[in-house]
Amino acid sequence: MTSSVTVYVPGDSAACSVGADSVAEAISLEAERRGHSVVVVRNGSRGLLWLEPLVEVVTDSGRVAYGPVAVSDVSGMFDEGFLHGAAHELGLGFTEEISWLVRQQRLAFMRVGVIDPLSTEDYVAHGGLTGLRRALAMSREEIIEEVTASGLRGRGGAGFPAGVKWRTVEAAVGEQKFICCNADEGDSGTFADRMLMEGDPFVLLEGLAIAAIAVGATEGFVYVRSEYPDAIGVLGAAIAIARDQGWLGERILGSEHRFDVEIRVGAGAYICGEETAMLDSLEGKRGMVRAKPPLPAIAGLFGLPTVVNNVLTLASVPAVLAGGADGYHALGVGRSRGTQVFQLAGNIARGGIVETPFGLPLRELVEDFGGGTLSGRPVRAVQVGGPLGAYLAPDRFDLSMDYEAFAAVGAMIGHGGIVVFDDTVDMAVQARFAMEFCAEESCGKCTPCRVGAVRGVEVIDRIVAGSNRAADVVLLEDLCELMTDGSLCAMGGLTPMPVRSALHQFPEDFGLDPRSTQEAAS
Amino acid sequence: MTLLREPDLGTPAQPGAADVAITVDGRSISVPAGTSVMRAAALVGIDVPKLCATDSLEAFGSCRLCLVEIDGRPGTPASCTTPVAPGMSVATQTPKLEKLRRGVMELYISDHPLDCLTCPANGDCELQDMAGVVGLREVRYGYEGENHLDLAKDDSNPYFSFDPAKCIACSRCVRACDEVQGTFALTIQGRGFDSKVSAGAGESFLESECVSCGACVQACPTSTLQEKTVIQLGVPTRTVLTTCAYCGVGCSFKAELRGDQVVRMVPAKDGGANEGHSCVKGRFAFGYATHRDRVLSPMIREKITDPWQDVSWDEAIDYSARRLKAIQAEHGLHSIGGITSSRCTNEEVYVVQKMIRAAFGNNNVDTCARVCHSPTGYGLKQTFGTSAGTQDFRSVEEADVIVVIGANPTDGHPVFASRMKRRLRQGAQLVVVDPRRIDLVRSPHVEAAHHLQLQPGSNVAVVNAMAHVAVTEGLIDRAYVAERCEPVDFATWEVFITGAENSPEAVEPFTGVPAADLRAAARLYASAPNAAIYYGLGVTEHSQGSTMVMAMANLAMATGNIGREGVGVNPLRGQNNVQGACDMGSFPHELPGYRHVSDDAVREVFEQVWGRPIESEPGLRIPNMFDAALAGSFRAMFVQGEDLAQSDPNTAHVKAALSALDLLIVQDLFLNETAAFAHVFLPGTSFLEKDGTFTNAERRINRVRPVMAARTGRQEWEVACELATAMGYPMHYDTASQIMDEIASVTPTFAGVSFRRLDELGSIQWPCNDAAPEGTRFMHVGGFVRGKGRFMPTPFVATDERTTRKYPLILTTGRILSQYNVGAQTRRTSNIVWHEEDILEIHPHDAEVRGLKDGDWATLTSRVGETTMKVCVADRMPQGVIYTTFHHPVSGANVVTTEYSDWATNCPEYKVTAVQVAVTTAPDRIPVG
Amino acid sequence: MNREPTSLIRMVNQIAANFVNLPDDEAAGQVANHLAMFWAPSMRTELAVWAEGGGPGLDSVSILALARLATRP
Repeated sequence: MTSSVTVYVPGDSAACSVGADSVAEAISLEAERRGHSVVVVRNGSRGLLWLEPLVEVVTDSGRVAYGPVAVSDVSGMFDEGFLHGAAHELGLGFTEEISWLVRQQRLAFMRVGVIDPLSTEDYVAHGGLTGLRRALAMSREEIIEEVTASGLRGRGGAGFPAGVKWRTVEAAVGEQKFICCNADEGDSGTFADRMLMEGDPFVLLEGLAIAAIAVGATEGFVYVRSEYPDAIGVLGAAIAIARDQGWLGERILGSEHRFDVEIRVGAGAYICGEETAMLDSLEGKRGMVRAKPPLPAIAGLFGLPTVVNNVLTLASVPAVLAGGADGYHALGVGRSRGTQVFQLAGNIARGGIVETPFGLPLRELVEDFGGGTLSGRPVRAVQVGGPLGAYLAPDRFDLSMDYEAFAAVGAMIGHGGIVVFDDTVDMAVQARFAMEFCAEESCGKCTPCRVGAVRGVEVIDRIVAGSNRAADVVLLEDLCELMTDGSLCAMGGLTPMPVRSALHQFPEDFGLDPRSTQEAAS
Repeated sequence: MTLLREPDLGTPAQPGAADVAITVDGRSISVPAGTSVMRAAALVGIDVPKLCATDSLEAFGSCRLCLVEIDGRPGTPASCTTPVAPGMSVATQTPKLEKLRRGVMELYISDHPLDCLTCPANGDCELQDMAGVVGLREVRYGYEGENHLDLAKDDSNPYFSFDPAKCIACSRCVRACDEVQGTFALTIQGRGFDSKVSAGAGESFLESECVSCGACVQACPTSTLQEKTVIQLGVPTRTVLTTCAYCGVGCSFKAELRGDQVVRMVPAKDGGANEGHSCVKGRFAFGYATHRDRVLSPMIREKITDPWQDVSWDEAIDYSARRLKAIQAEHGLHSIGGITSSRCTNEEVYVVQKMIRAAFGNNNVDTCARVCHSPTGYGLKQTFGTSAGTQDFRSVEEADVIVVIGANPTDGHPVFASRMKRRLRQGAQLVVVDPRRIDLVRSPHVEAAHHLQLQPGSNVAVVNAMAHVAVTEGLIDRAYVAERCEPVDFATWEVFITGAENSPEAVEPFTGVPAADLRAAARLYASAPNAAIYYGLGVTEHSQGSTMVMAMANLAMATGNIGREGVGVNPLRGQNNVQGACDMGSFPHELPGYRHVSDDAVREVFEQVWGRPIESEPGLRIPNMFDAALAGSFRAMFVQGEDLAQSDPNTAHVKAALSALDLLIVQDLFLNETAAFAHVFLPGTSFLEKDGTFTNAERRINRVRPVMAARTGRQEWEVACELATAMGYPMHYDTASQIMDEIASVTPTFAGVSFRRLDELGSIQWPCNDAAPEGTRFMHVGGFVRGKGRFMPTPFVATDERTTRKYPLILTTGRILSQYNVGAQTRRTSNIVWHEEDILEIHPHDAEVRGLKDGDWATLTSRVGETTMKVCVADRMPQGVIYTTFHHPVSGANVVTTEYSDWATNCPEYKVTAVQVAVTTAPDRIPVG
Repeated sequence: MNREPTSLIRMVNQIAANFVNLPDDEAAGQVANHLAMFWAPSMRTELAVWAEGGGPGLDSVSILALARLATRP
């Protein structure tokens, strides 16, 4: 061999959890042993998690994928000429042609798995900084107008229009303004924030910088959960490099704009993913939900105007600016524009990242992308939108994946997590778990959540035990109504969503006559 | 039901014009922008149910009882956290809201003991009220679920108990500790259902940082935090609005009683000085009034070695009058005199000084302010024209830079300190000038920008240097000075202050304050839009006390910081009625209203009303009385409510003087140290028995209303009247109100004051007259009382008290939160748990070289005396300076303090005594109290 | 009076020291004023008697001030 061969082995923590580090090491050792010149690049994950560790080799005709690769496979792959992209039983062909990826439309995740996450050359070569450079040539108003026109909504779950939020912060008066990125990704079955931070950290920094320029902020914080040590490491390194490159700091890309970013690590409380509790935590206090108003946009971090956006929202911004509002807005349906990064998890054959425009049916995600359950048994329910999201039975699988369609049936897209259950699931247990989760993670400030969740567990137990079922169902419904309408934040407010959806769609699991609760639901 | 409830509008008032119009349940009201829907509703007479909201705290939005529906808005927002918007239409009573509220109460009660009938708060419980208001009829969850009913009660605090089983986790206590008190002692521990109020990190209340101000107890809507007196005695049935008798803040309290028994003291929300806040003394330490040590009957004895004999009032008065007259007959008109008390009402003080001037026929009257704030009187009179603080307390809320000099507000004036800390948390800058690192220097959410840790005795040099920086760096307000001050005096002062000897660099060697720090602090003060100085006895109790007061006044005038809100020169008065006692003519050279006895026109006014000639020459001051007693020319003394033998300096000298008297009449609550030298003891009344007024440090005249009849059978002013009458000068008033009317008739600054006006207005800050019928918040607005402000040269003259090889350390003194002054009251309450004895604070280095460890006993020796104290090794003091309090007679800090005093007023130099400290064994003595 | 009025001497000297920045004559006037305003006549008399006897312990401004006081109406 004359020139060296580039091999990609993901450094993503999901890949590493199934042996990617060992595989990378084995490839290096094997190449050395055989006298081949190989450069192993630790990229992010392409998001085909059932195929991790997914190894790619760069050939003249493109990147060829193999997976899932075990250390024991490495020698045989070398034998069969994997460095030339040769066929192998683990061979997946050209990565770009894998249908699971072909059917996606990646914007936020455009570079994740493709590039070396900390290579500035890679980043720029793959379109990085295009959005920021364009933003620097625009006025604040123009940037905000662009983001507003794109239809980009908050990807953290609430779906609030990003441009509207930015406009509020821009107009607010304050001696300083902040951008806070919520990376406290605590929902069960969600991992997109982590994969993005590990796989393409610069895009988040670019999104933060654009937001900062748009609203006149000078300081940004990324609030990352402590359970993400790899993401914290990669993002920290990226911040240092970005400062070095002049992408952050006193003069962003040589402009008059000053902006810097710091990481803050959470301490394991789910509630700190709630934006106001996160602000409390960022201020060094215990994370307690704040009453709104005042909105964080007006009086956020340290009482100053603050943009709080999710990782995926900010990571979408460079693409919006680079491709223009119209291009982004052309994707999606109704008021749900652009792409959403869905995460398939739970009892699923093919789990991972699916970024597509809004509007595809749920079934396509569960069955086509996901391939049904890993256990091979029939799907009984999926929970969309995290632990506070609704359970949906297969008869709802034609639902369009967009904010409004989900809201119309008492469900939510949330952060895009989809957790699949097979027919062995006990939905009364799941409903009870929702209340338990709320009781465990409640900040304890408001009464409906603090006391209600504990009583919710007890009432569900009583319903299942069955001594006074009819009255207890009425009580549970009343409690759900109280939590929904009376809670201070989404934690208590949304907990009834999985409870009620389970109760109404799967009454038999609670020992109830199916007809009785169908009526109650209508 | 009872008179005890005050209306609670739910959330604090907002400033500004009431220009946002909304309708609530069809009723229209306009309120200032930012007002909550809840408050607007309350103002229109609609009480939205609530538990976590109270108008002394910022809205929190946790209980979710106050949900409302608003036209055009989704959901059911909480009315406490929702601000009004123009045209908003709110519904507070709908079937949906009723259901939600019942649901919330159902949850609360599912985790609450069902012991209302035996609960101490029965009838005084917001949770109980709300259960009724929402019509809760059943708790469908039952009472068998997870709950907190088994949590242990914390009875560690002597005054209140904490019963977490009754807690509804509303955080009102935590928020009160944070927002109102500013101590941040309480927190919520755990989260979710495990949320539990905790004092510190799982400590008991007594062990924690809690300062027992009572704000949490007051904020608690249930019986979770409950006064132990309420637990023992039951819910009070009537209330009397009165004024605290501890420090110069002068908090208004509701005394809540059952019959004549005080159940609790609750700070009054509309109290001008305290606005609903209190400290551990005023709130809880009132038990001394009924302590068994109270003397209730007059007593006499021929010699101080004789036992006391109980006698009737008539007998005691006759005996006193007879002996006073005999002494005057033998030794002359000026051989007797008296001392008024800052602990007594204005009316009592006025009558005593009148008795001395008119019945004794001389001006030998002085007051205990002599030993605390007499330099304030001198200094502010010389510069501004009247001897009073310039601001009200609320003014601090507009200050941008706050300079605290020689005061320790968090201990000495805690309720004002809380207000100051709130302002500091909002971003005002703080400069502390004090040898000791007082708590304000660094406490939760408060940190001084500069702590000028000066050597005791070098105040004047430091403030002169600050003025030097302001002048030489061009930071003074020349337009203000030109318009408002005497030009010649300013010119003289400017030359003086710019002298090189006043530069920060020149004074650094002996003040110990780094010049750069001093310059920075001076720039901060001089450049602030509003800068305010607050000071205490660390300013006045020096041989240069009066100079220092003038130096601060100079600095404030030069920078234009006098005459509006947010600025000023403000003494923090030690005792409840120091200001009033001084106002009432207690000084030997001044008649009421600070008018010199040599002024013929002034004397004529009094002579007309009093019907007696008044001497035109000053009388003796307290230390002069002692000297004269030892010289034999002063033979008899009437002492009202001051324990000279404990509180005055150089105890041996004081005791010798008292022993030399032929007659000492003491009027007090207790047989104090001074009473040991007395021949007549006249029992005094506690503030709970008094009828009159106190004037606090902001010149605020507050009513003191009798909560119970005088336990002694006599008001103190009646006793003075009877004594004067027995001496041949008939003096009589039917009521205290008549006395105030006389005060108003002879004192122009009090012309508009009467009990009736006080009842109408709540309180009045003098001057109150035709020009200011409702009183005066800020002095010197538009012009100084004396016309033009007068700059006074303030050369630094060091004290003669110097350290030597024999006495190498400097002792300085101060107060602690839980104790008050000589401790006569507080030592007779449970406050003793926080401060059993006076402690000597000493720097680790000074301790080390003397072989002293924390908790050791040490002898403290000065050139005049020696005492013994327990040692606390701490670095709050700079090396070479040690510190103690003077609350306990057994330790007797004043045994060692010297006869040195302020040059102008003879205010003793308590704050600087050269001493030596040596390790010793524990003394064999029985603690008093 | 033969007993030395120690504390009065200390007090008047201390007052005089605080007018150190004035010329002696002016300072004496200020001290005299101060004594007239704030001291009981008996104290002034005692010190005046001491001063007449030469005034050991009194500093020059104090003596001047007492002399000034004596000539007042």
